[in-house]
Amino acid sequence: MMNDTELYFTQNTILIVDDDEINRGILDNLFSAFYEVEEAENGEIGLSMIQENQEKYCAVLLDVVMPVMDGLEVLRRLKARGLLEKIPVFLITAEASDSTMKEAYRLGVMDVISKPVIPYIVIRRINSVVELFRARKRLGNVVEQQQSKLLAQAEKIISLNQGMIESLSTAIEFRSGESGEHVRRIREITEYILKHTEFGEGLNEEQIRQIGLGAIMHDVGKIAIPDAILNKPGRLTAEEFEVMKTHTLQGAALLEKIPQLREQEAYIYAYDIARHHHERFDGRGYPDGLKGEEITPWAQVVSIADVYDALSCKRVYKDAFSRETVVEMIRDGQCGTFNPRLLDCFFSVEEQLYQLYEKKEK
Amino acid sequence: MEPARKSRLEEIGIDVDSVLDRFMGNEGILTRFLKKFLDDANYEKLKDAVEKGDAEAALTASHTLKGVSGNLSMNRLYELTTRQVQLFREGKEAEARGMMDEITETYQGLIQGIKEILGD
Repeated sequence: MMNDTELYFTQNTILIVDDDEINRGILDNLFSAFYEVEEAENGEIGLSMIQENQEKYCAVLLDVVMPVMDGLEVLRRLKARGLLEKIPVFLITAEASDSTMKEAYRLGVMDVISKPVIPYIVIRRINSVVELFRARKRLGNVVEQQQSKLLAQAEKIISLNQGMIESLSTAIEFRSGESGEHVRRIREITEYILKHTEFGEGLNEEQIRQIGLGAIMHDVGKIAIPDAILNKPGRLTAEEFEVMKTHTLQGAALLEKIPQLREQEAYIYAYDIARHHHERFDGRGYPDGLKGEEITPWAQVVSIADVYDALSCKRVYKDAFSRETVVEMIRDGQCGTFNPRLLDCFFSVEEQLYQLYEKKEK
Repeated sequence: MEPARKSRLEEIGIDVDSVLDRFMGNEGILTRFLKKFLDDANYEKLKDAVEKGDAEAALTASHTLKGVSGNLSMNRLYELTTRQVQLFREGKEAEARGMMDEITETYQGLIQGIKEILGD
């Protein structure tokens, strides 16, 4: 981005286009105190000078009657190239007929100044327009700078938000001996399946990002589960398991109680995922016993991601299984019944999902 | 400017105050441009075009001469060419051509005078 000084130096040349040397000389003499001055002896030469270096000129003074290419034709060509909005062009003419003036103004000439020129008038009029164009450009730069500053701040706020959600979720997972890695992997697996398989059809990138954020919070309800149950090595009793199952409803209820979260677009996904990530495709899951397509695609994906990650890693109650065993267990329905379409999608990218673990271990 | 020189320029039809104003008071530049006026080809072009009956070329030359004489505050020549341009524009070619004697006389007077004054 240009600063004011650069702007001043790069755009400080006035171009005088007139076929008469005396006319050029008079204007040259008037303006050389304020600007660099260049001269062209007809419209064609003037036009090519402007085109070669658009950034250089802060104003063009144009005669009307000239050989080779007249002033109006120069105006027409400058307009066609959108240059009249960037460089103010003045007609300086010995006598302008009504139709010439009308056409010039229609094309977008800045002003029509009559010859013989009166020095203080021509200097005043041209200097103030040049100053106006400069001010406008400066202002445009300032607005642009402020806009990108605001955008950067908004991005910071979003990432801070996300960071807080991640920290909170990780803190809760810590209690059950999980690392922050689990939270991050669930999110990565969920987003990967939605982005790279037909299971994510109809969802745009932003929605997938929000679902990923919701996936992070799938187990926040575990904060309400007593340590003795949460961290029990070995099998839970039927009674304990009933308590454990409430983490879905507790999670949804917790998210519901945070007003700031309810305003976030990710909220509907987060709520749904926290509540329904233990539903099963055959209707035998909990807490609501939803069946088939009653379960949203995102809750289904988080559910398979959760199982895949749980099986692939060591937990308090078990060791990690080998990759082959994990795939087999999921395929055989040993860890819940999944949508057959989801299973197809999952297996089609399992190779890439597995890389997530490989990378982390390295 | 030296008063004698100023009054001589005014005698041949140049409004010295006005033209010096246009040159921001720079007498050197005025002298330079008066010399250039001696080499200005527009009067010859105008004469040729009128003789050949090329109204369009005559209009262009008269128009340019009008601009130059106006800029140099040669008031008489400026008035004449202004009127001639107007006549050409209105399609009154005969009348426009009819002004040539007056224009020639005024132009020659200026050329003569400038040569003498600058030659001193």
